[in-house]
Amino acid sequence: MSFVSIEQAGYGVPSGGTILDRIDWTIGEGEFHALVGRSGCGKTTLLKLVAGLLAPSTGAVRIQGEPVRGPGAQVGFVFQAPTLLDWRTVLDNLLLPVSLKRRPQPADRRKAEELLDLVGLSGLEGRYPSQLSGGQQSRVALARALVTEPPLLLLDEPFAALDAITREELQDDLLKLCARHRTTVLFVTHDIAEAVYLADRVAVMEGGHLRHALPVPLARPRGRDVRYSPRFNALCLELRHAMDGADSGVALERAS
Amino acid sequence: MVRLASALLLVLLLAGWEVYCRVAGVSALVVPLPSAVLRTLWDGLAGGYLLPHLWVTTAEMAMGLAAGCTVGFLAGVLLAEVPVLRRLFYPYILASQVVPKLALGPLFIVWFGFGTTSTVVITALICFFPLLENTMTGLQQVDPNKRELFRMLRATRLQTLLRLKIPSGLPVILAGLRVAVVLALVGAVVGEFIGGRQGLGASIIAAQGMMDSTMMFALFIVITVLGMIVYQAAAGLERWLLRRPWKG
Repeated sequence: MSFVSIEQAGYGVPSGGTILDRIDWTIGEGEFHALVGRSGCGKTTLLKLVAGLLAPSTGAVRIQGEPVRGPGAQVGFVFQAPTLLDWRTVLDNLLLPVSLKRRPQPADRRKAEELLDLVGLSGLEGRYPSQLSGGQQSRVALARALVTEPPLLLLDEPFAALDAITREELQDDLLKLCARHRTTVLFVTHDIAEAVYLADRVAVMEGGHLRHALPVPLARPRGRDVRYSPRFNALCLELRHAMDGADSGVALERAS
Repeated sequence: MVRLASALLLVLLLAGWEVYCRVAGVSALVVPLPSAVLRTLWDGLAGGYLLPHLWVTTAEMAMGLAAGCTVGFLAGVLLAEVPVLRRLFYPYILASQVVPKLALGPLFIVWFGFGTTSTVVITALICFFPLLENTMTGLQQVDPNKRELFRMLRATRLQTLLRLKIPSGLPVILAGLRVAVVLALVGAVVGEFIGGRQGLGASIIAAQGMMDSTMMFALFIVITVLGMIVYQAAAGLERWLLRRPWKG
């Protein structure tokens, strides 16, 4: 049973033509999928269709069989920038999704503190975002998206602005957090190694089309050893070739 | 150190002024002696002549500021939130601001009579625009990503306004308040020139009538000090409201 199904979804703007052209894709429950492609290939647009921030001009997006009609409670979203509220403490930022619905209870606070602990920020709940490093801000944003325990998490290049070491740490944090509740994930990135390290399955986008799908049969949990294994590098290379193939317009319908 | 030098500069200037006026025999009608100005100021404050006027001007300024800022802020929120209203009203609001409000003073005297009301209305009109303008700007320059975040979290329009737009626009709004405070004093004093019976502005006109330049200078000092106090109060309020979160 697929958790997310994208059926013939297209998106166009009146002036600029087609941004997405009849995309078909399904994500099974608890799976981690990555979407790679160059800037401007439409991957963020596709993510926003799934989030309900944009409505498809053709086709449909379904989550658990229900067509998406707008932002829903079952979806967590992590943006490119941490988008924290500067005038709120870390704890208040974390509880924002709750406090927009109701007054946060002590149980919510406990859950938020537990999440902070999991991303290694315990003790910083009283700080303001300006007092945190970029990596810490990204961790708060990640924890905020998960505080309501949404079954589906969407991420739009969340770690693109971080240095390589911090990015690796955050990737491990993300995998750890998503494994807790078997969260279904769609992760947009332009980093090949990041896609291969995180995902069960990688989709390659180019010019508004899905060109290629690559399964990543690496065992979980994945750790540092995986990153430097020949198998990992072979998969990265395969993905790179797939992207080159996508560039030349050759549709490599492999393993789909 | 710099503060000390700055104070010393004032003393030197005053001393130079005093000496020049005495030596050159400048008429007190043109430029009064600083010592005479200070004595008049002291007599006015201690004798109780200046205090009622100071109180009237302060009250007019405060009422005009409060009314103008409240209406300006609310109108700014409304115009920022409802684009149709913005397109409909903004040209008129802009036009109304280009009209020099002090030139409307005589008309207000016809409408509201001599005294406090006219001055408060002029002051409020002057304070209205900086708050309107800055509130509109502040609310509209919210980070689009954060707006999208609030959409994603299914925040209501009111929640988005109160919990995202106003807090993130607050630095800009408060900068408008700082401008309004200074303009409010100008509005109150000049309003009193035109239609005041009491107040520091009316006292300047009265002193002019009596060719009492010394008193006029003493009143300038009172007005300057009043302006510095309210400006510092506004800046202090700004610092307090923006205390932690915005500091880099």
